[in-house]
Amino acid sequence: MMSHWIIAPVVLPAILAPLIVLLMRQDLFLQRVFSTVGTVLLLVIATALLVAATNHPPEVYRLGNWPAPFGIVLVLDRLSALMVVLTALLALAVQLYVIGTDWDTRGRHFHALFQFQLMGICGAFLTGDAFNLFVFFEVLLIASYGLMIHGGGRDRLRAGVQYVALNLVGSTLFLFGLATIYAVTGTLNMADLAVKVAALPAGDFALIRVAAVMLMLVFAVKGALVPLHFWLPGTYANAPGPVAALFAVMTKIGAYAILRTGTLIFPPDTPATGSLIGDLLLPAALITLVVGAIGVLGARSLPRLAAFAGIASMGTLFTTLSAFTPAATGAALYYMIHSTLATATLFLVADLVTDRRKADRIDTSHPAIAQQGLIAALFFAAAIAMAGMPPLSGFLGKLLIMDALRENAALVWSVILITSFLMMVGFARAGSALFWKPAESKATSHAPEPLAFTAVFALIGGLVLLTVFAGPVTVWLNETATHLHERGAYIAANQLPGGN
Amino acid sequence: MTIALIAALPFLGALLPGLMIRAGRTACASVTGSITALALLLLGLQAPAVLRGEVIHARIDWLPSLGLNANFMLDGLGLLFAGLILGIGLLIILFARFYLSKSDPMGQFYTYLMLFQGAMVGIVLSDNILLLLVFWELTSLSSFLLIGYWKHLPEGRQGARMALAVTGGGGLAMIAGMLILGNIVGSYDLSVILENKAAVQASDWYLPALILILLGCFTKSAQFPFHFWLPHAMAAPTPVSAYLHSATMVKAGIFLMARLWPVLAGTPEWFWIVATTGLVTMIIGAKIALFKDDLKALLAYSTVSHLGLITMLLGFGTKSAATVAVFHIINHATFKAALFMTAGIVDHEAHTRDLKRLGGLRHLMPVTFVIALVASLSMAGIPPLNGFLSKEMMLEEAAHTVWLTPWGMGLLATIGALLSVAYSFRFLAHGFFGPKRSDYPTPPHDPSFGMWSAPALLTALVIVIGILPMTAAAWLVDAASGAVTGEVVTVEIKHWHGLYSPALWMSLAAIGGGLLVLGAHAPLARLWAATPRPEAKRIFDGIIEPLAALSLRATDHLHDGSLTRAIAVATLTIAAAALYAFGGGIHLPGTRALTDVTVVPAIGWFSLMVATLAIIVLHHNRLLSLVLIGIIGLVISVGFAFLSAPDLALTQITVEVVTIVLMLLALNFLPKETPRESAPLRRLRDAAVAVVAGIGIAALAYALMTRDFAFPTISEFHLAQSKPGAGGTNTVNTIIVDFRGYDTFGEIIVLGIAALVIFALTEALLRGGPANDRLLAWKPDQKRAGDRHPMMLVVATRLMLPIAMMVGVFIYLRGHNLPGGGFVAGLVFAIALVMQYMASGFAWTQARQRTDYHAIIASGVLIAAASGVGAWFNDMPFLTSDYGYVHLWPLEEFELATAAIFDLGVFLTVLGAVMLSLASLSRIALRGGETVNTQAFDIDPSQPERGR
Amino acid sequence: MEALIAIAIGVLTAGGIYLMLRQRTFPVILGLSLLSYAVNVFIFASGRLAINLPPIIDKAAAGYTDPLPQALVLTAIVISFGMTAVIVIMALGSFLEAGHDRIDMDEGGE
Repeated sequence: MMSHWIIAPVVLPAILAPLIVLLMRQDLFLQRVFSTVGTVLLLVIATALLVAATNHPPEVYRLGNWPAPFGIVLVLDRLSALMVVLTALLALAVQLYVIGTDWDTRGRHFHALFQFQLMGICGAFLTGDAFNLFVFFEVLLIASYGLMIHGGGRDRLRAGVQYVALNLVGSTLFLFGLATIYAVTGTLNMADLAVKVAALPAGDFALIRVAAVMLMLVFAVKGALVPLHFWLPGTYANAPGPVAALFAVMTKIGAYAILRTGTLIFPPDTPATGSLIGDLLLPAALITLVVGAIGVLGARSLPRLAAFAGIASMGTLFTTLSAFTPAATGAALYYMIHSTLATATLFLVADLVTDRRKADRIDTSHPAIAQQGLIAALFFAAAIAMAGMPPLSGFLGKLLIMDALRENAALVWSVILITSFLMMVGFARAGSALFWKPAESKATSHAPEPLAFTAVFALIGGLVLLTVFAGPVTVWLNETATHLHERGAYIAANQLPGGN
Repeated sequence: MTIALIAALPFLGALLPGLMIRAGRTACASVTGSITALALLLLGLQAPAVLRGEVIHARIDWLPSLGLNANFMLDGLGLLFAGLILGIGLLIILFARFYLSKSDPMGQFYTYLMLFQGAMVGIVLSDNILLLLVFWELTSLSSFLLIGYWKHLPEGRQGARMALAVTGGGGLAMIAGMLILGNIVGSYDLSVILENKAAVQASDWYLPALILILLGCFTKSAQFPFHFWLPHAMAAPTPVSAYLHSATMVKAGIFLMARLWPVLAGTPEWFWIVATTGLVTMIIGAKIALFKDDLKALLAYSTVSHLGLITMLLGFGTKSAATVAVFHIINHATFKAALFMTAGIVDHEAHTRDLKRLGGLRHLMPVTFVIALVASLSMAGIPPLNGFLSKEMMLEEAAHTVWLTPWGMGLLATIGALLSVAYSFRFLAHGFFGPKRSDYPTPPHDPSFGMWSAPALLTALVIVIGILPMTAAAWLVDAASGAVTGEVVTVEIKHWHGLYSPALWMSLAAIGGGLLVLGAHAPLARLWAATPRPEAKRIFDGIIEPLAALSLRATDHLHDGSLTRAIAVATLTIAAAALYAFGGGIHLPGTRALTDVTVVPAIGWFSLMVATLAIIVLHHNRLLSLVLIGIIGLVISVGFAFLSAPDLALTQITVEVVTIVLMLLALNFLPKETPRESAPLRRLRDAAVAVVAGIGIAALAYALMTRDFAFPTISEFHLAQSKPGAGGTNTVNTIIVDFRGYDTFGEIIVLGIAALVIFALTEALLRGGPANDRLLAWKPDQKRAGDRHPMMLVVATRLMLPIAMMVGVFIYLRGHNLPGGGFVAGLVFAIALVMQYMASGFAWTQARQRTDYHAIIASGVLIAAASGVGAWFNDMPFLTSDYGYVHLWPLEEFELATAAIFDLGVFLTVLGAVMLSLASLSRIALRGGETVNTQAFDIDPSQPERGR
Repeated sequence: MEALIAIAIGVLTAGGIYLMLRQRTFPVILGLSLLSYAVNVFIFASGRLAINLPPIIDKAAAGYTDPLPQALVLTAIVISFGMTAVIVIMALGSFLEAGHDRIDMDEGGE
């Protein structure tokens, strides 16, 4: 008997959000309370699901009680559970930060949109149906549009229009790809697709390869893979700081989708697609890493610096994923957790600084900001994490990745190390310019915002835990990676007709 | 475990100073000191065993899957270095207590210092090269903080950045080297690696690994050509310079070379790279030191030079040479740290470190003078001090080493020694000897005991080791060099090697020559000043700054926020990738029978083509292009109807209407014309991009339509189950509300969110700011129609409203079995209401309907969700539907399906969403000064001009 | 017929892309709507073409066209409607905020 808990991460926010709109539209306090409680609940449920997924084989939830592949199913496995937990963790931190900095007073419906956003993200992670993945992509996207332009303002709106326009192109491509897949295989269920694509007659190879590439590119847009990354700098730099921090997990959705489809539907041993995805992914990923690192070195403003650091980390992530080996996938998962937390931290710190400087340019000299010492320390930590320096998990991630990609050492290692150097220099320049320039006048005053700092500390604490418990964590992640590449259990859980 | 604790203690201690500073500077210093002392004590307890030749291990699993574990080991080498780091560290803490001024944040200083100390101890105690890497980069980071400690000094900031870039960068290279080394051996544990000399040196990867690791060592130990960062790091407070840049951090590279000596040394590559680098560094460093007027700069370069000396000795790759290296490490640490502190004292007392402004200090600060005297004599290698002993042995080794020519090494080594004699004496002569001056920035005098005690202690060591080397140092040298070479070492340290030892004559030459050089210093200095030479900092900045500037330009140029480029690039990328993918696989054209073309659809198709092309040409006229969009939508929906998709036709047409209305309302405030701004060439480019995409998609569509499914489709199940399973004959609708109801659930939520977003945005726009001002100042740019609410239209819509609503209900009810359903119904309702707005004006209508659209949306979503959650109560999954047939007199039997409740949710959400969006737009219009009538009609015969 | 539909899809796509490459928000939105027409027809076509075979269960029916793509298109239409609504208002908003409706931002050299 399947447990209804699997769908809770979707239904909970899906009910909470309209309730907020319906009952407490005018009362911010109530919104904050309910929204936070909801996120905490989400975290609890997600953790429970993670435990369940750890101890049991993948579990399928048949919506409308229709059997796969005819109805839509949710699939809970280690990966989806992990992603949901990660989302909930990040969401909670961001939410505390938003409340602590009163960001939610700068516009309407923040918390409702926030919950809808969570619903979309969780739905995307949990679904086992290709078209349903599209639907939830749209849910999380349209919610993200709302959050991105939260508070309004010229640049934010103009950047928003671009963000929407590019993502609509992505969505269109998604539909083209899905339609192609259906037209060839006649199915939409992911597990069923895994079976059908593997059994495809040779005459259809070319078309399914096109479909595969289309999907990959859609996910690459989400993951800001060069040259489909142009939306990211403007969007992240102009979005409200905490929203940008939340978006740290949105790029990971692209990575997740590539990992999921690349291991389940188009694994390297499938005759139709073979190593197609990896072949296309690796060069683009390396370029992404370089572009990101250069962006960090040459960043004008703190938010932009953070944005490009994010791009660089996506480059690292995709580089690792492109190998499609259990070892690499394990390392990639570790790095994915790290980079989500680290990127979010950096964006929150950037918001703390810009909010106090009232100017986001790095080089302009400026009186010391309120809580300068503390914020400088936080920036130092975030920078260490993003640049992959010890002692934080970024360094371990880098080691894991380099070790996992030793087959291709000459190229990959040198790119990773050179870019790390560029980022190190970039962060050092930015940091010393921001916090070490002599202050002409005494510190500007600002509300202490303890809750906001708590949120940032929580994220950094997460990084520390990830570092200290790297051993057990990697063991768990490597098992997860092995399951992903075996994929048998996932397919079996769908109980497809014909004994698959 | 103890040794793990030794490594951990400084880190734990790092937390304390920040707190203890509240209890005062002395308390802060003593607490910090006691931590270090404790660590030193623990180390001391291990010493006897280690000196007996044991190796102590401590293993803690950290990241076993990678082979990165917190494994520590303590052998002779580790003991020596840990002792130096902690011992000198203790003295530095003492010294700093008196050196730092009240205005300096001392807590911060000690915290950074302890972090650094921990990192250093970690390096020398690591038994795992990955762990060592962690500590290695930590020293770079903590030294970054220490060098930049005086934030107000630009030199401090730059020096810190430079040090981080060079040493940290070297560390990155070393990561690769270590990973290679570990992969060769199959383990990252040092104790294992040290066993595998043969395997490592036989591997093809030996040379890359060697070079990468040496890069790390050379950068850290400021070896040529990376020596330039060290002097700039001297912007740091003197305690930092004394600690990092003489005693410890710069020795890290030396340590690692010694540590890996058993595995890497002994090959020609090793000899040539290491020995040569060391030799060159020794001479260049000494030469520069000779001409530096800043005490600290002089000492800095002399440090570079001595590090070169040690590196050279390690490079020789012989047991004896390694032994000498170890001995010199000890000696250098003692006298150089003492000298740095002396320089610090002078600076502190005289407020200048410029030799040109000093001199005669021996009269004013006798104690300091004695310390400086002993230490610098030892640095110069004057017997019987310890510096003399190790230098003699060094020269001895050099004399017996063949480098290019049999005598080349000996000669150059002598020159190095000569120069070091020269600058050592200069330090004394120009600093302390000579007449007392009257123009010191402040009249100097000896500092308090607290300040000179530390260097004094070190100087005592210099003398003791110098006079009684065998008792004072030999045991330590034996243990350490035994660990380095992996063999039993019993060193023989003598002052007198007999007349026939070349070293004697070499050092005599060195001392004599040195004095001569010092005598000729003034002219030489002029010559030096005259000769152009590369200034390292300028070169470094010349690399980094343009690099940063270039990155900025490249980044901004590439990411200038151009959407058009982004889309063009994306389109071409997609096309290229798809083509690549297609080419990589077999493609057999489809064999499906084609549907033949009849006249009517052909006409429809033709009009579609015309309309599309017309838009492309005429899109500058925005109103017209909206009309054309409408036509296209119309044709497409007719096409759907023709191709057996009545539901699509219905939906398409209704959506079309609402969309057009929406865009019209928006267009009301947008420019009515799109200016022609793109050059013909650009238009051509865009057209090309577009055509590529179009052809690609068309080809794909054709390939798909003309072939059969590879497998039976899942929709066969839907057709079969539509009636029996889902209780509806309209399969499309049963899929929408049942088989794939979850999609629809998401879909209506998208609509709901859209409305919320639009509402929130409107609020933001009307809240004030430029948008609001523009609206208030907005002038209609179109000529208004005579009467904006024509009577006919008003009447018609009033009449239509109930009818339309009836139709809506009808469509909703039939949906499950015939084309229709909640979505279309919602739109029909919405349209009917919109008609009222359009006909009778916003205010009039608004005044007549009180329902709150937010509530409609929310309840719609909630109803849909509820219909799904309901299933849980008979233990069915979310959205499981049920249906039954009800007989309700006088009606005939009809069907009730829970899907209908779900569809109701759809209906409400759609209605609310559309209305909220349009209402938001109307609010913008109101702010824009749209005159609104509260009467239904604006034609009032008594005032014919009203409303025009 | 297949050829005509394919060409129609192609032309709509090309038109959409071309308009999206204009520098003002309005044509970009027009382009997006053309694109969504194209993709809707494309999805619809993925169920192959059939005339007078509506997927309404009926004893008398000679057969049925594939209903699933139609359902997918419905979802797609609705979603793209919501998206269009949002981007229209956002375009309007950015026009009112900025005073012009140029779509490219000038982030360089600020």
